[in-house]
Amino acid sequence: MKAQVSRVLPGQEIGVDEQRELAVDGLTPARVMRPQSPQELAEGLQALSATSAAAVVHGGDTQIGLGSRPARYDVALSTTRLSRLLEHEPADLTCRAEAGMRVGDLQAILRAHGQRVPLDPPRPEKATLGGMVAANSSGLSRARYGGVRDWVIGIAVAYPNGVIARAGGKVVKNVAGYDLMKLHTGALGTLGVIVELNFKVQTTPEADDTMLGHFDQRGDALAAGRWLARQYLAPAAITVLDREVLQECGLTADWRWTLAIRLEGYRREVEIARDQAAAAVRDHAGRVESEPAPAPARFWESVRDWTLGQDEAVLLYATTSLSGLSPVIDVAGSDSRVMAEPASGTAYVRVAPGAAVGLLDRMRGAVKGSGQVVVRRAPTASKDELDIFGPPPPGFALMRELKRTLDPNAILNPGRFVGGI
Amino acid sequence: MESERLSRRLKAVVGERYAFTDPYEVRLYQYDASPETALPDAVVIPGSAEEVAQVARICAEEGVPIVARSGASSLCGGTVPVEGGVVITFARMDHILEIDLENLRAVVEPGVVNLALSQVLRPRGFYYVPDPSSQGACTIGGNVGTNAGGPHTLLYGVTVNHVTGLEVALTTGELLQLGPGKASELSGYDLTGLLCGSEGTMAIVTKIWVRLTPVPPVSKTLLAVFDDVTTASNAVSTVIASGILPAAIEMMDHLSIQAVEAASHAGYPLDAGAVLLLEVDGIAEVAGDVARRMAECCRAEGAREVRLARDEAERQALWKGRKGAFSAMGRLSPDFYVMDGVVPRTRLPATLDAIGKISERTGFKICNVFHAGDGNLHPLVLFDGFKEGEYEQVLRIGDEILKLCADQGGSITGEHGIGLEKRENIRYVFSDQDLSVMDQVRRVFDPGLRMNPGKVFPAAGGEAKPAVRMPAGKTTGRAGPGDEIWV
Repeated sequence: MKAQVSRVLPGQEIGVDEQRELAVDGLTPARVMRPQSPQELAEGLQALSATSAAAVVHGGDTQIGLGSRPARYDVALSTTRLSRLLEHEPADLTCRAEAGMRVGDLQAILRAHGQRVPLDPPRPEKATLGGMVAANSSGLSRARYGGVRDWVIGIAVAYPNGVIARAGGKVVKNVAGYDLMKLHTGALGTLGVIVELNFKVQTTPEADDTMLGHFDQRGDALAAGRWLARQYLAPAAITVLDREVLQECGLTADWRWTLAIRLEGYRREVEIARDQAAAAVRDHAGRVESEPAPAPARFWESVRDWTLGQDEAVLLYATTSLSGLSPVIDVAGSDSRVMAEPASGTAYVRVAPGAAVGLLDRMRGAVKGSGQVVVRRAPTASKDELDIFGPPPPGFALMRELKRTLDPNAILNPGRFVGGI
Repeated sequence: MESERLSRRLKAVVGERYAFTDPYEVRLYQYDASPETALPDAVVIPGSAEEVAQVARICAEEGVPIVARSGASSLCGGTVPVEGGVVITFARMDHILEIDLENLRAVVEPGVVNLALSQVLRPRGFYYVPDPSSQGACTIGGNVGTNAGGPHTLLYGVTVNHVTGLEVALTTGELLQLGPGKASELSGYDLTGLLCGSEGTMAIVTKIWVRLTPVPPVSKTLLAVFDDVTTASNAVSTVIASGILPAAIEMMDHLSIQAVEAASHAGYPLDAGAVLLLEVDGIAEVAGDVARRMAECCRAEGAREVRLARDEAERQALWKGRKGAFSAMGRLSPDFYVMDGVVPRTRLPATLDAIGKISERTGFKICNVFHAGDGNLHPLVLFDGFKEGEYEQVLRIGDEILKLCADQGGSITGEHGIGLEKRENIRYVFSDQDLSVMDQVRRVFDPGLRMNPGKVFPAAGGEAKPAVRMPAGKTTGRAGPGDEIWV
């Protein structure tokens, strides 16, 4: 009898190459599951749970490095075969898709109807809808249009007990039942595997424009951005980039600090917003770049994708109040690369692994409890010495209990989330 | 004896004056804006979050239900203490604690009236966007409980999109500050988002961080007049398809117009089959042009008249008429029963048509006043509660309409909540498995099931909806011209 207890893991066995491809923070899985239907995925989860085998959920893997090192990793669970668009009625301004659909594929379909979901995660040609939600990856326009939590109106999730359960629905206004969409947004797949998502969509604005201002002082650039964020015609995106980041994003100008502004709206609105933005730059001791930005679409894609960081560096991410951002970035030395979003009080700071622990401590000290600094990406070798999420957030006891309730055998991304969840 | 001990313990926390159990005194707290009633055992009016937390712990220790209530404008029995217990009301916790324009946030206590916040903010160029029609009476705490909407959700979203943090009391007596507050995000599960719309079944909100938005420089409001609801519905789709982003699109049908115009004299045409109220926010240079484009869309779909509100006074009059529509129904009927179904926009004509057929078949008049841009319907069934059997019939009509909305791919509530009223109807949109996950989540917060019991979830064992009878002589829920009921 005892012999039967030996674990037979679900999924297919994989070779060394595929193991390496699916490795996360130096851990490799023995097997992979690539379910072709939500039902198959749910059954797979149930099988995993029965054997207490740990899975790391993979979408497009653009943010697979997010979170702490997995505590265990037996099976890779990929959602990329769940890639169908299920519904899109343009006049309803909603759509429904499987979670493994690439963000870029959905946006291309919507674009053909003059629509979009105003979420713009890095590498949309690879990133999946489910991954975008699980990683809470909204892109650069969160301050103006809201983030992932504001655009997901329905969800279907496969849980480790083999159940697929829904919440929300496909209408834009709906308060029936609990808003479990929020629970799974930013949860890194630790409570269940998202199999289907419903989104609100938006008519793409009639016009857009890009304006660049440059500054000698970072504080001035941030202040101009903060001022713009509080205007009725607030830009769709406002970023502050240091010289090196600007160059990495494809602009060769030798400006110390650049304020890059993306404007969207009705045509006339954008014209007026441009004047307003130019005035804000000048009022804050900046200079407006008179030439139109070359290839603005490409530039914004580069800025967006810059937020993914690099393999050999540590990427820190600070979120504070708008007015609290400057002091947190100020502790970064000249060896750090900075990209800040003054309209949402967020900043990415890229630093060499050797300097990361010290900088993380200093930034956390500067936040003073009114926000947080997390590690968005780090080389495997650095992960263990970095406290990825910092102290557990308030309500952590409830979060741990939610995890225990929905994933009692801790099979989903164990150890990766806040407080070791 | 036990209730005496409960009373003594509550008084020890909030003071003699702010806890009462006398059946005469607690009667006021037996109802909200829905027809159902139930008496609480005790009512407390705490003065601070710490007191709320202590009351919550005492309720847990004594094993009695706890129901949070403030404006009590719930249309679905959300604050009716069906299983008795302690009602916590927030009349004393009505302070705006902080306005931080630099960071676009305000921090408020749950008893702050929705409109009061925007009235304080507007002179400074900002406002709190969600504006349920009851905004003169409903509170931000109640708005969080139901994830309230309003006419302007079309462009700006609902309550949860404007709430960035909550302080909550748990049944353990713990006070927790959740969410990013003045920041834009915080790692961990989004408990703030989860609790919005949880109808007081998991925790009691004691403080709220809300996002502030710059006031639009100009709002242009159009009144478009149609011969029937179908052409009006088509106009809604045409406006949306044209690329315009309206701030609100509201519809009223012929019957509603009669009541609203008699009450408000806002200038709604009495012979219209349907009217749309369309609003666009923007800068002066653009809003007028966009309003003209919306007017063209309406004319193209057969509007027989499109009128731009000439000035702010006319605009306010139109909105006052719309927001007071429910109260105005008292002119048509001694009672009405309101529903809150949602359908995809494109299903509006078919749904309204089917509701018309239900009205014809049953002989009950049904008015439609609703948020057309969102597909959020508010059918009002007119009846007379003193006529034997009418109320029961009306409840059955309500069930039928909600089923209809669910079958069209919609929802059984867009903004009012499930509450007591629709706890069985929730099965139209969620399976047992869906509900079981939600139930597991609730029990993490409230293992003893004492937080607003009898709400949201179907009765255990799936027994039929309890026959709730309107007590004879009951006046609430009957809207006379002097009463105020909103949607």
